[in-house]
Amino acid sequence: MPRYAMVIDQSRCIGCMACVVSCKRENDVPPEHYRTRVLEMVQGSFPDLTTEMRSELCNHCDNAPCVNICPTGASHHEEDGTVQINRKKCVGCKACVTSCPYNARYINEEHGYADKCSFCQQRLAEGKKPACVATCVGGSRIFGDLDDPQSEISIILRKNSHRVLNKAVGTGPNVYYINQYPKRA
Amino acid sequence: MELSITGTNALTYPVIHVWDWRVAIYLFLGGLSGGLMTMSAINYLRPSRKGPLQSVCCWQIPVLAPILLTIGLFFLWLDLERKLHGYLFYMTFKPLSPMSWGAWIVLIIFPVMILYALAALPDEVKGGIKNSFVKNLADAMAPHLAFLAKLNVVFGILLSIYTGILLSTFVARPLWNSAILPLLFLASGMSTGAAVMIIVAKSKEVKLFFTKLDIWLILGELLILALLFYGHYTGDAAHQAAIMPFFNSSHETFPYFLSIIVIGIVLPLAIVMKFLEVTGKRTEEVTGFGLFLMTTSAILVLIGGAIVRFALVYAGQLSGYGYTMM
Repeated sequence: MPRYAMVIDQSRCIGCMACVVSCKRENDVPPEHYRTRVLEMVQGSFPDLTTEMRSELCNHCDNAPCVNICPTGASHHEEDGTVQINRKKCVGCKACVTSCPYNARYINEEHGYADKCSFCQQRLAEGKKPACVATCVGGSRIFGDLDDPQSEISIILRKNSHRVLNKAVGTGPNVYYINQYPKRA
Repeated sequence: MELSITGTNALTYPVIHVWDWRVAIYLFLGGLSGGLMTMSAINYLRPSRKGPLQSVCCWQIPVLAPILLTIGLFFLWLDLERKLHGYLFYMTFKPLSPMSWGAWIVLIIFPVMILYALAALPDEVKGGIKNSFVKNLADAMAPHLAFLAKLNVVFGILLSIYTGILLSTFVARPLWNSAILPLLFLASGMSTGAAVMIIVAKSKEVKLFFTKLDIWLILGELLILALLFYGHYTGDAAHQAAIMPFFNSSHETFPYFLSIIVIGIVLPLAIVMKFLEVTGKRTEEVTGFGLFLMTTSAILVLIGGAIVRFALVYAGQLSGYGYTMM
């Protein structure tokens, strides 16, 4: 069984937002909601500015608070390690939305269930990569199987220093960020 | 730092307000209902009680407890996005989910509350019950009143403390994520329960007993509130930031700043009024001024308890692990 994860190489992100748009199209995300977002953080004072682009999405945590808090079992772990939502079981109590330290969830107002990034489960079933990964022009998003030592993602994580967001919260996230090193004069 | 974000949920960024006044009302009424269960049972069980139960205290309190809990649960049900799917809470039990515990605890508590209410009914009220099943059940429960009262002390505490346990398990919301929050909600629930006892009770002896008890409960509530803030203040950056709305009088956070000021006024004022009444001249009957003091202070306690719940439910959702801390 694969164990899916994603790597974000921030140095290759150009901030084109194609990932955000393709995700909305692929998953029919309501207009006011998003399953992935891109943060642009500008630091410094003009003309000495630096920019960090950071893509964020559901981290499909190993110890997911949303799965733990869900009273009906709607939020659950699949065998491939991803966190998914069984819409039929969701009562819309919103505990999972409140419990996510990554603010990755939203309520689909039309139908009332909680929703979030699913790593494009429907595409994985067809052997395709998630829409955001497939569309990323800079190759900033890399997706794959952590259990396969020869997969691109496993090799990248072995060869590069990386981090996860909010490690101290202790949810065991599965979206990794490649550390960038300081530019020297 | 300048931060712009493309692709955010209006609902979840920059702050989530997923749970609103409906949940806060439920938490308040749940705590109050638990407080009423425990306080009315304590009134029955205490050795210093003078005369039979019916003559010194109101049978209305045990009846009021399940009614208030039902109203609270109605508000909680209103908050569900898929109201017709509510039955799914009872199609499974999730041992790791405090939400799931809550659903099942309520199911266990209701019979305990209702049987106690029936057992405590005085004969003249029982005579007016038309439904023979309810009347027979009330007659059957009457001999077990002492046992049901003991159960109510425990289950009242359980119900009151549960509302805080639920919020305290949210690691994502630093303000709530404190082991002392359940104790704050317990103290607040019990003090509001005692306040309602004071308002409804007829005899001066009962009013005075709960006035004394309430002084300690409010002191406990204020102490725990201070400890909650102090615990966060000595915690990590996210916990420190979580309490800031209460100490920042700027435009965005003014309601929270105001809530602490109001709590800091109404609860100590209630203590002072209660103290005046307790240390006042002893008369057999409640004097007009004494009644005014006790009732006003009880209403202040209810206001304070409601503000504690509302402020913490809303401010908790302002707190989180910010974007600069990753």
